[in-house]
Amino acid sequence: MCLLVSLAIASGLYAQNVLLLSDEQGSWPAILGSVGISLKQASDVPVALARQQIELGSFGILEGASATAEAFGITPTAKRVVVRNVTDARSPKLGIVWENSQELPVYQLPSDAQVFARDRWSGAPLMAGIRSGKGAVLWVATKPGARGYERFPYVLQALSDLGLHPPLTSNRIWAFFDSSYRNRVDLDYFAERWKKAGISALHVAAWHYNEPDAERDEYLRKLITACHKRAILVYAWIELPHVSEKFWTDHPEWREKTALLQDAHLDWRKLMNLQNPDCFKAVASATHSLIQRFDWDGVNLGELYFESLEGAANAARFTPMNDNVRREYEYLAGVDPHSLFPAKADSPEMKTFLDWRAGLAKRMQSEWLGELEKARRERPNLDIVLTHVDDRFDTRMRELVGADAAAVLPMLSKHDFQFLIEDPATVWHLGPDRYSEIARRYAALTPQADKLAIDINIVERYQDVYPTKQQTGVELMQLVQVASRAFERVALYFENSILKTDWDLLPASGAVAKRYERTGDRLIVESARPLGVRWKGGAKVNGRAWPVSDGETIWLPAGSFVLEPAESPASAITHFNGSLRTAVSIGKRIELSYQSGSRALAVLNGDVKRLEVDGQEVTATMAAEKVLALPRGQHLVSIELK
Amino acid sequence: MRGWKGILGLVAIVAVAAGPEYAALDAAYTALRAKDYETAIARFTQAAELAPKRADIRKDLAYAYLKIGENELARDRFAEAMELVPEDHHVALEYAFLCHETKQQAAARRVFDRIRRTGNATAERAFQNIDGELRTGIERWSRVVELQPENFSAHEELARLAEWRDDLATAGRNYERAWRLRPERRDFLLRLGSVWRAQGTPERASAALLAASRGAEPRTAEAARELLPVRYPYVYEFEAAIEFDPSNITLRREFAYLLLEMGRRDEAESQFRVITELDKADSLSAAQLGFLLLNRHEVEKAMPLLERALKSDNDVVTDRVREALQMPKTLRKRPETPRSQTSMEAKTLAERSLEAGYLKDAVKYLRIAHENDPVDFSVMLKLGWTYNMLKDDREAIEWFRLARRSSDAKIANDAERAYRNLRSGLTRVHTNVWVFPFYSSRWKDVFSYAQVKTEYKLNNLPVRLYLSTRFSGDIRGRIQDVNLAQPVGLSESAAIPGVGISAQPWRGVTLWGEAGWSFSYLHEANRGSDFRGGISYARSIGRNLGSETSGIFGETTADGVFVSRFDNDFLVYSQNKVGWTFEPLDTQLLWNWNLTADIRRFAWANTTEQGPGIRFRLPGIPKSLVFSVNSLQGSYTVMKDNPRPKKYTDWRVGLWYVFAR
Repeated sequence: MCLLVSLAIASGLYAQNVLLLSDEQGSWPAILGSVGISLKQASDVPVALARQQIELGSFGILEGASATAEAFGITPTAKRVVVRNVTDARSPKLGIVWENSQELPVYQLPSDAQVFARDRWSGAPLMAGIRSGKGAVLWVATKPGARGYERFPYVLQALSDLGLHPPLTSNRIWAFFDSSYRNRVDLDYFAERWKKAGISALHVAAWHYNEPDAERDEYLRKLITACHKRAILVYAWIELPHVSEKFWTDHPEWREKTALLQDAHLDWRKLMNLQNPDCFKAVASATHSLIQRFDWDGVNLGELYFESLEGAANAARFTPMNDNVRREYEYLAGVDPHSLFPAKADSPEMKTFLDWRAGLAKRMQSEWLGELEKARRERPNLDIVLTHVDDRFDTRMRELVGADAAAVLPMLSKHDFQFLIEDPATVWHLGPDRYSEIARRYAALTPQADKLAIDINIVERYQDVYPTKQQTGVELMQLVQVASRAFERVALYFENSILKTDWDLLPASGAVAKRYERTGDRLIVESARPLGVRWKGGAKVNGRAWPVSDGETIWLPAGSFVLEPAESPASAITHFNGSLRTAVSIGKRIELSYQSGSRALAVLNGDVKRLEVDGQEVTATMAAEKVLALPRGQHLVSIELK
Repeated sequence: MRGWKGILGLVAIVAVAAGPEYAALDAAYTALRAKDYETAIARFTQAAELAPKRADIRKDLAYAYLKIGENELARDRFAEAMELVPEDHHVALEYAFLCHETKQQAAARRVFDRIRRTGNATAERAFQNIDGELRTGIERWSRVVELQPENFSAHEELARLAEWRDDLATAGRNYERAWRLRPERRDFLLRLGSVWRAQGTPERASAALLAASRGAEPRTAEAARELLPVRYPYVYEFEAAIEFDPSNITLRREFAYLLLEMGRRDEAESQFRVITELDKADSLSAAQLGFLLLNRHEVEKAMPLLERALKSDNDVVTDRVREALQMPKTLRKRPETPRSQTSMEAKTLAERSLEAGYLKDAVKYLRIAHENDPVDFSVMLKLGWTYNMLKDDREAIEWFRLARRSSDAKIANDAERAYRNLRSGLTRVHTNVWVFPFYSSRWKDVFSYAQVKTEYKLNNLPVRLYLSTRFSGDIRGRIQDVNLAQPVGLSESAAIPGVGISAQPWRGVTLWGEAGWSFSYLHEANRGSDFRGGISYARSIGRNLGSETSGIFGETTADGVFVSRFDNDFLVYSQNKVGWTFEPLDTQLLWNWNLTADIRRFAWANTTEQGPGIRFRLPGIPKSLVFSVNSLQGSYTVMKDNPRPKKYTDWRVGLWYVFAR
């Protein structure tokens, strides 16, 4: 009877209640938790009651054969199949392979079941949904695996198809963008998709725009406008020493060399010799011009060190070995570094050279941060990001590519930039928990944890990984969730590689709440990071009218809040991409404080009548129609709308 | 009002004239104008289905996909449009550019190359860009490979670029070298399979893919499985794969068990020996080799292997070794497990036992599985097979009988077939009827041979007694040959009842003897006692009629028969056929080689024949009815007293029907 009562209350309290109807919780809390959904263990609930709850709008999760499954028409037949290769209906071409095969009964499902996944060879159903009344059940033929993504990567998408939607959302994600994959898309269509996916900044491959070109420049301007309209920032992502195709073609004399003294065209990058003063000057000039030509919000100085992940063991990919480097090192150490290859790859002389090389990388980073700061003098709202491969978790990176975070991070005290830690390829196969560990190791190196961000590479991994070659579904959501918990910002590499099927759930995975609880018509939310709460209409937050809402989502700062229904304020910020600190609606006036590494963009529901920043009236700068651009840094703002 | 009706009518006429796709297209363009790309794509797709020959719809669909960044789908639609209008260079270029963007460089290069040859400047530029970059890259990495032959990533890079440039020889060589340097990168075997297949060397491709499918990491194995034929590999394919990948233990072990199954023990043993040398931890192979040696009483050689196997943590292997060495089995306390789990575990152990060839263990585990899940028909079927392999057909037939009730059609069919096959061998009284009528163009006559035979199986004796009635006759009865004074018969034109005894067939060989009486309805000389007996042999290999897949087949029948009525003659017949079976057509194209000889040197009994033929079944009629048409070139090998020319041609059209009760 108690159970009956508690379930009944639960169904009244939660719009979408999730009941786990199998014996063991297993990884279900981790799966659902990755998009902010909690669940209730309900395996002891009588079958009739479970059915009733689902009819009333709850969602049930069933595993394999059980009395409850049978009540929904799911029964095992005598036939059995060994399953290793799975076809998911939403992405039939995606290779889903289980690391360990499993022999399972072939199940018979009711005719109205929606089969989401099948065994590739026999067609036996493995994951299916059955709608019942206002709710639905999701059935899987076997447990989803210890980590939650070993067998059914798209279990969350299946639940979403059945009508279960995450209660929280976020807009803290950065994404890398390369226009060569998107040169004929409708940019407004895409910008809208990015906004819905919680992307707050796009880091655009800027080397395609190094030299002015009317057609390409027009494309980029349209891209920036489409983003700004939706409060998405746009950063120039540069990948020095790669400058551009044309620069490489025009300046063969400045090309970087490998240790085999071949031109350093490695993978897609065509590397230039930035130690050559003339080359440096030309690149610096081109970069300044690039920054000034477009309405960038920031610059991302990416991966400015050397090649390759094979280190000195592979002379064919080892850089730098240009004349300037050889002369300088020979002058300092009395040895031409080229003479160290390949016979002395493991020698103490090589170690000394590699130490010097790491120092050279740091020197370059410092020089180029200086160059970007020069550009910032002309554009004070420009944010600067340094993308740097992790060498704390994978400690070989200093030797392999010259990356030395411990040496670079103290620069945070001299230069104002954000430090974006890139997951090295060597650890892409490890689970999401690595991000907590990376955060812990970096916290020891700098007190400015708010300047740290993490970059998740969403690509086909070279390692033998399962069930999918590239992170997708539950695995991706868990990665983003754990990373969002550990870091202020999460960047995804890259926009084009994120599978279409993942876009809708991404913003939920970026939202990390410590507490989410409804009491009557009130909602208590506690979070260490800003987030959005799905909420229809207006709300009072901690008793005061709240102005940051689009009628579907309430955007909140980090902290503890009680939300209760209220009338929608006349003046509202429907979307905001800075880190909100406080906000209040006073008549037609909105007061808020925020912090932002670049200018902050606020999408308003009216035109600005009066704007005060830190108590001073200023002229409103509009990034687009009804999109107010606010200065970078930490500010208190008062906006009065007409 | 009348005017509106007119306009609507006109629109309707235009719509009909424009085709059934008009409405869908109209909706598509409307959605496109509103930037509702999803709807536009759905409507264009619908229109393309309604007008499958219209390339322009596919082009517009592709452009709609491009708007939402679905470049691969756009590329595939352009590919379809290109197929419809190969002369449209604009479509081909769009396709090629998208191939390039979606990392299908080889396809892009090929299309640009084709179009540039027509003088198209854009294609020329694009080709040179791609080809130049590839050429430079190949030169650069070739130089690295020259300088550093052990540089794995250089071989990999060179192979990839060469594959994109359709330089398949370089690609294959370097993929193979890269794989040899990093044997754990078994995904290279897939690349090799693909490159070698494109190079026109399917045997090498098959070897690489077979190696990838066994022992590789699951992802690679699954990918290889998709590229290999559905059928089980042939022995020569295993041999080629092992030659290519000699350290692939899983592949070699599977091959060794296949050889064992085929009775090729020596070869199997040598494979197991290689495995035990390559992998000291392979307890299964160590145990198997130990058993083989033990069977040959080579105890000293067997013991180290069996001791090695005893150290394994594989319970099935250690139990089997203990049993063989007459040691007590180890007691293992098992946690209490649910019945379903017990059944599953038992089935897994049974599978492992079957894989290892431990049939008695397999029976034990399958019985446990059956006890825990009495309605698992797959277990019943497996029990049937296993008992059958253990030569316990009485037990096997019971399990097949039960498994026939499965709701799974495949299990039920397999069980039914096995049940029927076994039942005929187990019943004490068994009747067999065959009939073989055919038309011969040489004799312009229809001949017919037939036999009804009822066998009685004797308890525990390897022989059977039988009653038989043979028939041999033709329609013309007699012919008048110009070279002979008297008309002669072309067949015995007789029924010959008799009693006989036959031995149990052993590897296709049967001994038999029969005593009877010939009742000829035409030839007096053919009446009287008839004693006959001899040896017969029949064997077929490959894909016979009724196989699941097409393939080569071969069959031979040989008979040595003593017949008292023909001057106590001893005749030898050998009929051989090789050819290709086409499934599911149920048809064989074949080549015949027939030889007949006797010790009395009668001309009619000494011939060779050869020639093509076709054999087939027709749908809807019993499977045991087979039609044949053969065109034979014959030659007499004895011409003494032979009134006929040495060479002859004969078309034979006939049918073969057999049934048993």
